[in-house]
Amino acid sequence: MKRYTLLFSALAAPSAVHATVFMSPEQAQAVMFPGEVLRPDPRQLSDDQVSAIRKASGESPLHRDLKVWRASSGGWFIVDEVVGKHEFITLALALDATGAVKSVEILDYREAYGSQVRDPRWRAQFAGKRAGQSLQLGHEVKNISGATLSSKHVTDGVRRLLATYAIVLAHNS
Amino acid sequence: MRIGVTIRAAAFVAASASLSSAAHAGEPLFGYIYTTDTLPKGKVEVEQWVTLRNEKVAGSFNQIDERTEVEYGLTDNLQVALYADATWVKAYHNGPFGQTTPPERLVYDTPGPDDHYENSRFTDVAAEAIWRVRSPLLHKDGIGVALYVEPSWGARFREVETKLILQKNFLDDRLVIAANVTYAPEYRLVPDDNNPGHNGWQEETDTNIGIGASYRFAPKWSAAVELNNEREFNSLNFTHESNSAYFFGPSIHFGGRKFFATLSYLEQLPWATTHSDSVDGAIVGCHTYDNDFEQRRFRLKVGYLF
Repeated sequence: MKRYTLLFSALAAPSAVHATVFMSPEQAQAVMFPGEVLRPDPRQLSDDQVSAIRKASGESPLHRDLKVWRASSGGWFIVDEVVGKHEFITLALALDATGAVKSVEILDYREAYGSQVRDPRWRAQFAGKRAGQSLQLGHEVKNISGATLSSKHVTDGVRRLLATYAIVLAHNS
Repeated sequence: MRIGVTIRAAAFVAASASLSSAAHAGEPLFGYIYTTDTLPKGKVEVEQWVTLRNEKVAGSFNQIDERTEVEYGLTDNLQVALYADATWVKAYHNGPFGQTTPPERLVYDTPGPDDHYENSRFTDVAAEAIWRVRSPLLHKDGIGVALYVEPSWGARFREVETKLILQKNFLDDRLVIAANVTYAPEYRLVPDDNNPGHNGWQEETDTNIGIGASYRFAPKWSAAVELNNEREFNSLNFTHESNSAYFFGPSIHFGGRKFFATLSYLEQLPWATTHSDSVDGAIVGCHTYDNDFEQRRFRLKVGYLF
């Protein structure tokens, strides 16, 4: 048993070595809501909410636990994950008090290529987007050639979190 | 005896894989089936494949095919590659009616029917191009299409292998269904039955149809199954069919940031039937054991992205 544990640890080790964490949630909060105080406001998604999010966005939440903070200005800060080529990509979404996207940050990215999703000009395409609006890669959001999977999943993730805001947070704040 | 040889062959596979762990490739989810994934522009991968093929009609048979490959992303949708192939084989009383016979890659060898045959040889070099016509990630239907061409050139072997690669993704692209249709006309220099002591070029066409499903069940890890039908014709116009075999089995894939490994195992299913050009004695118990077919195949692919 110990031998298998060691083998698995050895295989998992490269990711630990190469894991690239660009920002902690606290650092992202400071960048996305400068000068504001944020208080944790975690939520647990119900079955009905998961179904509603899937119906509204076309994407299924990966986790039931929703990591949410409320800003003193009334905005929202959400940390979530999307599927990368091999591992999850952690992102942070900042919404203003009306539910429009302020900004998107990539907190960690562990893949060998595709990290162009961190490009501020690409992420700026999400600013102002709201739940209910079309948000598709190749349409409202430009594809990054050579980073298609990452840019698709970040786009899908933002659309899912906007739906999550509309269903879970907007009327229950 | 057979177990001993198998263990030694497996050790050779493991040693080869270990020695080549500095190499890597285009992130295959399957052992045999290709997906529409291509390297991004300017990226280079090195891959090492080792395939163990064993058990024939009777006696003992172990063959190890080795491939070393370098891939390059010419554009984000066009990947090219160069590779070299070699083969090692050890066989005894493995063929039709218990005669010792060489595998297809070394078909020009003529061991005696009771010889203990062992040989290893560099067989060919090949080039490969995969053009992704349609990305499964950029369309709502999740369907991808790619075209593959691979000309191979050896002293006794010439082939152009072509494939149509289809792919559909599900579940956040974690479930991948892929299908391949392969058409590969080839020439092999073999002893000429009508002119003893001389060789002649034999025409053959391989056509394969395969389908597989891969699911990423944990970060970095995918599990897959694949089913392949391999058919051979002793002509270039789909006449004189000689073999049709079905192989099925699982694969496990590990994909790290720079390194990947895929291990697959295929077993021939008892679905083989006799055709106009089938070799007498090569089909036993609804399995075909002609010179390019065996009971099982283990394949390890390892790769490294530079």
